[in-house]
Formats: sequence, structure tokens, C-alpha cells
Amino acid sequence: MSVLYHCPHLDESRRPPLPSSYPSSSTSFTPLHSLYFCEECDGVRCNQCVAVEVASYYCPNCLFDVPSANVRGDRNKCNRSCYACPQCATALQIQPTEKMENDQMISGAPYSLICTGCRWSSKTIGWEFDKATGIASQLAKLDPGQAAKTEFEAIKDHLETYMSSSNPEPIRTSSKVPTRHISHLTQMAAKALHRDVPGLAAAKAKGKVRATAGSRSGGLEKAHTKWDELSDYVAKDAWRGGNDSLGIDQLSEMERPEVAALSKRWCSSWGRSSLSSSVLPDRILLHTKLTKRCPHPSCRHLLIQPDAKSVRFKIKMVALNYLPAVEIGRRRRRQDKGPGSTPMAPEEIEQRQRERRRTKAKAGDEEDEEMDKALERGAVYVYQLAFTNPLYDPIQIRLTQPYPPKDAPPINHHVHIPTQHFTVSALKEAWAYDEDDEDDDLPGLEGASEVPSDEGVSTVGGTLGRRNRISTLGTTSSGLREKRARGETGVEKKANMTKVLLEVEVLPDAKGDVTFDLEVRYTYRADAPAPNKEEPTSKSSPNDELKTFTFWVRLNVGKVA
Amino acid sequence: MGAFDPLVTYEKGTYIETDTGNKVSRKAVITGATNIILGGKSIIQSGAVLRGDLRRYTAGQHVVISMGRYCNISEGVVIRPPGKIYKGSFTFYPVRIGDCVTIGQNSVVEAAQIGLGVEIGKDCIIGKFVIIKDLAVILPETVLPEATVVPPMTVWGGNPGQLLDSLPETHQEMVEAKCKGFYSRFRAA
Ligand SMILES: [Zn+2]
Ligand SMILES: [Zn+2]
Ligand SMILES: [Zn+2]
Ligand SMILES: [Zn+2]
Repeated sequence: MSVLYHCPHLDESRRPPLPSSYPSSSTSFTPLHSLYFCEECDGVRCNQCVAVEVASYYCPNCLFDVPSANVRGDRNKCNRSCYACPQCATALQIQPTEKMENDQMISGAPYSLICTGCRWSSKTIGWEFDKATGIASQLAKLDPGQAAKTEFEAIKDHLETYMSSSNPEPIRTSSKVPTRHISHLTQMAAKALHRDVPGLAAAKAKGKVRATAGSRSGGLEKAHTKWDELSDYVAKDAWRGGNDSLGIDQLSEMERPEVAALSKRWCSSWGRSSLSSSVLPDRILLHTKLTKRCPHPSCRHLLIQPDAKSVRFKIKMVALNYLPAVEIGRRRRRQDKGPGSTPMAPEEIEQRQRERRRTKAKAGDEEDEEMDKALERGAVYVYQLAFTNPLYDPIQIRLTQPYPPKDAPPINHHVHIPTQHFTVSALKEAWAYDEDDEDDDLPGLEGASEVPSDEGVSTVGGTLGRRNRISTLGTTSSGLREKRARGETGVEKKANMTKVLLEVEVLPDAKGDVTFDLEVRYTYRADAPAPNKEEPTSKSSPNDELKTFTFWVRLNVGKVA
Repeated sequence: MGAFDPLVTYEKGTYIETDTGNKVSRKAVITGATNIILGGKSIIQSGAVLRGDLRRYTAGQHVVISMGRYCNISEGVVIRPPGKIYKGSFTFYPVRIGDCVTIGQNSVVEAAQIGLGVEIGKDCIIGKFVIIKDLAVILPETVLPEATVVPPMTVWGGNPGQLLDSLPETHQEMVEAKCKGFYSRFRAA
């Protein structure tokens, strides 16, 4: 059982998605609560297509906001006192030493790190501290990764001397391109990225050939492309040291718990011991809060802007506040005369469908069933679909099934929508509903008169600058009466929710999941673009226009037994 | 949302409804009730244990457990304040629970702070002095060791509990709708 919403991933054709019989279409469907909505483009956006930037960094343990300027220097890890247990990854606690002094318990230095999850203690690796704060800076002195860090810095400095020019020579075609020809690579990268890449100084390489390289590979002087000028790097001692000097023979002789599991080592910053007794704790990785933008190249509007200080968002353009929520529930099985086991000819199916369209099911014909029970072949199920309106004005919905493409694989079911057109009342404050609860005729439906205030709109979910979607539609009382006369079978309305029926006939030869798409088109009244974009007027002026928005949902109603 | 969620009924008279709309089972064990504050419209189900009696032994009034609105404490949940030795003597510290907090069946909670909209699954053990920030989700059967800090909008699971995932930006709305929905569906038969 699921209802997923379609994201067009910037496809502007507004064509329905491929049906579920094409597995590739599944990547375009996600739950409503994970989708965004760009007002500028009037389109649904998803996590796969939004542009993401880091807004802020914080430590998930001490919750400290790390200034982004420090993040690189701190190597994306908390530089205060946050370490993860090398055995179970729980955040370590700082524990003072307790001793008796003059009949009094005194706690103080030395401090150690202990794990409240598995009782591991940093004393086992000889880590003890004079102070209870700034463990990372205290450790910097004895950190065994220091040698490797120094080595890395040195090799980086060495290479950086070549990173001055971003103006490499034009590419010369050659059959022999030395793999170490870095300026050539830089140029290729610049070409691929359509921008300058800070590359190795190609100018220095001009006409010069490194003697060693030239003599080793001979004949290179004749090639058009040449070696960059790159002096030798003399390694420091880091690679030789380290405490991981155990050979494979020694490791194989040991018991399993003595050898550190790969899962405990692969996140380590530096090559470390394979003995579980000497695996060192690592600083805890920082987390990020993300800013998300509309991915459309000519739009790039902010969809999500987090607040570094709280769980609120300064900007939150989510589809939940724009598209009606669709839910499926209350499954009933229609008691049909004929047994469903005998396969039916296509004409017969057509015939039965037509019959069903004409005759309305009477009460007592249907039997309630659990939603998760397996579906039976040949059976007809009647579901309720609930549409909840997130807007402060009524909307009108047209519910259809999109036409499948010509050569679509065969389907295992038929869908019939008895009521294709219906309205959903406006969202209101909770107290406003209480009075109407018993009443099926929601005054909201009559109501062109009800215009929400600006405040009422902008406070919802912390959304800023949300455009009012004021709708008056054809929902005057006469319009309602008309609809009544037409007979909306099985339509239930309560507050800002309307429930309609949906019939699904499982074909006699069906197998697997019964999944189908529905096209939902809703009409709302939108403000004409206000002269001041920041502050859209909420008054229902004559400039208001009716607008429609179409989206697709994918329903999975269960598996055939 | 929750259009098809069924009513959750209890036998009439088995729950006490307070002026502020709290619904407290007569079968819940609540000790030291004067040290417990319920924000209103919260539900304490049968068999839940709230240890308001474990208070700090100094003079004056002490709030031991404070709980916000629209919380749901399921059957068999134990909430007790965390305690430790401080300056030579054992002391309890208060538990602060925000709005819209759901705690699943048989979980044992000794946290110091549970933020708004936190959802704790069933059969969890939340260790002493744990701090769970707003809108976090603790999956069923998770064990959070003493003093674990759970950042906002994250999902934790396992033993010992680990950070597994983060939640979508809409999580607050979803949680609030869920908690308010549950309260309105929780009625006497
Ligand atoms: Zn997308
Ligand atoms: Zn856009
Ligand atoms: Zn930290
Ligand atoms: Zn541990």
C-alpha cells in the first residue's frame, strides 16, 4: 500500500510519466512529504534534482556550530572533545579520576575517555589528559597520525609549487601522451568543465624535459607534449613507521577478537593497527545543514534554507503545502455473481466494465477487508481515496487515469473512477471546523466571501512569501446543488478532506503488484502577479485568475495472491 | 493526513480525563504526582510507570518529570529521572519532555531531555542523562548508552544506538499531525 508522487525532474513537457510497467519510471516517484515545490517554475522538485549547498556545519555530539572557515583545517571533524569509541562508535565521555583524600572523594585529573556503550577506556591505549576540555588539542601532541599528516602536508606543498598558472599550452596532438603530463590533464579538465582549472605551471615545462624521465622513456623529446617540470620528492619517514608492523602470519595466528574488524578500521583517518587492542578513537565527523535550490538553470530559487540555531527553516517550499494529499484506505471487495477463476475474454471484461458503470453498487454488495490482505484474481475492489486540501481556499479536482503509451506492456487490472470531478474545501484553523463538523455543507464551499488574512498564510510551516492560492471556483451554493443533482456517488466530505471511491478490478490472469498511476488536476484561484513580488496581495481582486496544476500519483494497492 | 486511521478506544471509566485534557489510565503507576507536570492533551496509557517520587533531597518543590502537550506514553513505559553521585551524594535530576513526544510500548527512559516531536519506538532503553533533541526518531529496540546526545532531525537505531539517517524537512508537520490525530482518535468506547 503506497501513494507516491511524481517529480518530472525538470522535464517541462508536462507529459504523464511512463506507467509502472516500465521499471525505469519508479525513480520519479517519492512520498509527498519528501518533495519540494518551486513557485517560480510552478513545479514539483525532488531530492534527486534539487541543487544542494552546505549552509552550516555542526558536531552531532556537542552540537557546536563549526564556522565553515575552520572545517577544512579541522578535516571535517569536531576539534573540541568529541571522540567515537573505537569498538562500538558510541561518543566517548570524559571521566575524571576519583580518589579519596581526607575521607572525601575528590575527582580531578588525570582524565580519560570512556565508552558508556561498551566500557572501553582510553587508559588501555595510554591516553590520559590533564584537562577535561579541549581533548583534541591536548591530543594533537601525541596523536600518532601526526607523522602521516606531516608527510601529507609536505607532499601537498611540494606539488603546490606547480599550481600557479591556469593558462596551459594549447593541446598538441600526439600519439605518445605521457601519463604524468599534468598540464595536459589540467587543460583537458578545463575544457570539460568549461572553466579555468588552477593547473600546474605549464610555462615552466615549455621546452624542458626532465632528464631522468627523458632518459628512462627515451625518444620522448621527439613527442610534441612534454613532461612537466617536477622535481623529486623525498619522502619523510612516515611510511616506514606506524604500529601496524604485524605480518599476515602473525595475524592468522591470533584469535578473532584480537584482530580489529575491518568495520572498525575503515573509517579511521590514517592507516592504523590491525590489533583491536590498539585501534584508536577518531574524532567525530561533522554534520551539515543543507540549503536546497530549484535546479532549473534559469530559476535557482531557494526551496530550503535552514536556520543554524533551530529545527525551523527560514525558507521551506515543500509540496505538502501546495498539492492535495492523497491517501488510500477502506478496501471493500465486491461480491460478484460469477466465479473469478475462469479466464474472461477481453470483450467480456469490457462488457462487465460497462455494466458496472451503469449499475451502481447497492449497499450490502460489498464486504470490508483488511488493506494488507493479498488481492484475489478476478475480484473487484472498491477503495476510498482521500484528498486533503492544504490551501486556504477550496479546490476543484479532476481525477483521471493517464493514457498509457502505445506499446506499453499489458496491465493486470482495470481501474474505474466513479466520480471524476469533485471539490475539496479550504483548510481552516481547527476551531473553525468544530462548528461545521456535523455539517456536510461546509460553509467554506459557498465561500467566495472568505478570504484569509496575510498572516494566516505566511505562518504556516514557517513558509515565507507563500503565494496565496485564493480560489472561488464554481463553488457557490448553486454549483454545489448542481453537483448534488448529478449525483456524486460515495463522496464524503469533512473539513478540508474529500473522500471518493475508486474501483480496481484484478484481472483473472494477474500476478504481482497491482500498481497504477492517476492524474490529478486541480483548479485554484491564484493572484495575478503582484507588482511587488515580495508581498503578494491577498485580496481577491478582479485580477485573480483560475489556474490549474496537474500532477501524477502512483498507487500500489497490494499484491495478487 | 491520517484520513483512514481507526479510532483507538478504551473502556469508559478506565481513564481519568483532567481539566487540561490529559487522559491518564487508572492502571498507570504514577508516584509523586505532585512533582509531575503534564502539559495537557497528553495520554498516559495503562501500565506506564512515572517515577515522580525520585526527587532531589533538598528543601523546596522540585519538578521531577515535566511533559508537554500531545504526548503519548504507551503501555508499560517506564520514565524515571536520571541520578548520579554529585559531590559525594547521590542526586536525581529532572526529566524534561517536550510537546508531541511519543514513547512506544515497554521502553525504559532515563533521559534528561527529550525535545519536541521526538518519537521513541517500542522496547527501547534510553540511558541516563541522554539528551534527545527536537524531532529525532529512535527506532524500536534501540539502546542509547548513558549520556548519548541525539541531534535534531536524525534517526537512531541499534545497540548501542548509532545515527542512521536524517529526516525530511517536513517532519515537524508530519509529527504534529500524527500526535494531534492520535489524541483525537483516542476515545472512550
Ligand atoms: Zn526530481
Ligand atoms: Zn524554480
Ligand atoms: Zn563535538
Ligand atoms: Zn564502546
